[in-house]
Amino acid sequence: MSERPFFVFPKWSDWLTKVIVISSLVIPVYLVFLIAYGCSARTLNVNYQPIQPVPYSHAFHAGKLGINCEYCHTDVKRAAFAALPPTQTCLNCHSLIAAKSRELQAVRNSYGTGVKSLAGMSVPWVKVDDLPDYVYFNHAAHVNAGISCLVCHGKVNEMTRVYQAKPFNMAWCLNCHRNPAPYLRPRNEVTNLDWKGKNKVKLARDLGLTVATLPSNLGAYLLKRYHVPTVKILTDCETCHH
Amino acid sequence: MKRTTRNTYIFINLGLAALVPFGLICLARHERTTTPRWAIIQDMDKQPYYKAQRPSKLFADGRAMRPHIPGTLAQQDFIYINQAEARAHPRNWAKDHVILKNKKLYDSILFGQTLVSGHGQWLTQIPIPVTKRFVKRGQTEFNIFCEPCHGYNGKGNGTVNRWDQRLRKLGSPEAGTWVPPSNLLGPGVAYLSDGLIYNVVTNGVASMASYKDQIPVVDRWAIVAYVRALEKSQKVVPAAKLPYLIRTNLKPLPTPGSQ
Repeated sequence: MSERPFFVFPKWSDWLTKVIVISSLVIPVYLVFLIAYGCSARTLNVNYQPIQPVPYSHAFHAGKLGINCEYCHTDVKRAAFAALPPTQTCLNCHSLIAAKSRELQAVRNSYGTGVKSLAGMSVPWVKVDDLPDYVYFNHAAHVNAGISCLVCHGKVNEMTRVYQAKPFNMAWCLNCHRNPAPYLRPRNEVTNLDWKGKNKVKLARDLGLTVATLPSNLGAYLLKRYHVPTVKILTDCETCHH
Repeated sequence: MKRTTRNTYIFINLGLAALVPFGLICLARHERTTTPRWAIIQDMDKQPYYKAQRPSKLFADGRAMRPHIPGTLAQQDFIYINQAEARAHPRNWAKDHVILKNKKLYDSILFGQTLVSGHGQWLTQIPIPVTKRFVKRGQTEFNIFCEPCHGYNGKGNGTVNRWDQRLRKLGSPEAGTWVPPSNLLGPGVAYLSDGLIYNVVTNGVASMASYKDQIPVVDRWAIVAYVRALEKSQKVVPAAKLPYLIRTNLKPLPTPGSQ
């Protein structure tokens, strides 16, 4: 007795089963890698380079002329925020040099010698390196512990227009907070972005030591000397999210 | 076309197509963007409070931060030690904390003046104890704020001045009305009293701008101390002209870095 079956899978369903099984294994793995790569902080955050109201070049002022970072960002050693300079700071030199330059129009507007309606208003600089509002980063704490500007801002002295050089996600912060020693340098070399620490004589002079008494492990020595908190404190939630 | 070959083609093409998004992401990674990242999940990244130097529509000048009120002082300006050090060496903190105890000290530290029979006179010495640390502090600040014009040695040939001289030589109109800065080691500065030098740093003179917003009060005095140290370093007497007893007892110079 041969009863006709109610339903018979067509022949191509063999092929379909294979495709479904293989793709259900491969596609999730593929998506995981794609999202991890595409949505990583390194992809999303780095290389943000907004157009500024004044084409101020750090590569020229900080790099070629070698003006110290602190000449403009004066508060960095004393305050949590590395302040943008007031318009007066630009005018220290630019009231005399290139005073009529077209590029400096926004500065002159702010100072009161340009468009009258904008006198006394700030130059509308665009913030580049911005942290989420629940993170309380303190510049003074880092700079006084011998963390260079370079560690977070990259080689600003080679940037014609400043861009974000580091991802600024929490994993990246913790990278250093878990092991700060290799990132430390003498405090007076913090704004020297080309510092390598190869010159022993200079290093000894920076630290007030002699070449003979120079510590073999500079990082460990500076940890102690600059009173850097322990890793337990550095990785405590409350340290950054207070 | 055989079925297996067709399947292989499909497989290879799919595999190549799967690499395209990775390639696009890789391109995006190395490209500068002028627009900020767009966040699907905000995660309280932007909260309704003002951070330092952010704009605000509340005030006519568009700033959230309020300007310094004339006639008031920031307490911070009178401490020249960082917090970590203060915690570790509380005695140093007290030593490095300038307290404006009375009117006389207030006038002398803030204005570099002292009242003599009702008239203000420039101080002839620095009103803060000058220690080695204090002068070193002055050196650091001098190298930041004075060096661009006056140069590391104070002779008036800093980087900005050199650049302007170059522009001038090239005949560029950008050279502007720049005046070469004065030589801090010359007699012009040597005969100024300390209070007057402090006043020049504070309020500027001729084409030099005021630095009172950039350098705190105590650091300005430290710079005065360092300028004096620079002057002293230039008053070197040749060894041959020294008295015999001193000359014969001279020790060789220490090599750099060995203190």
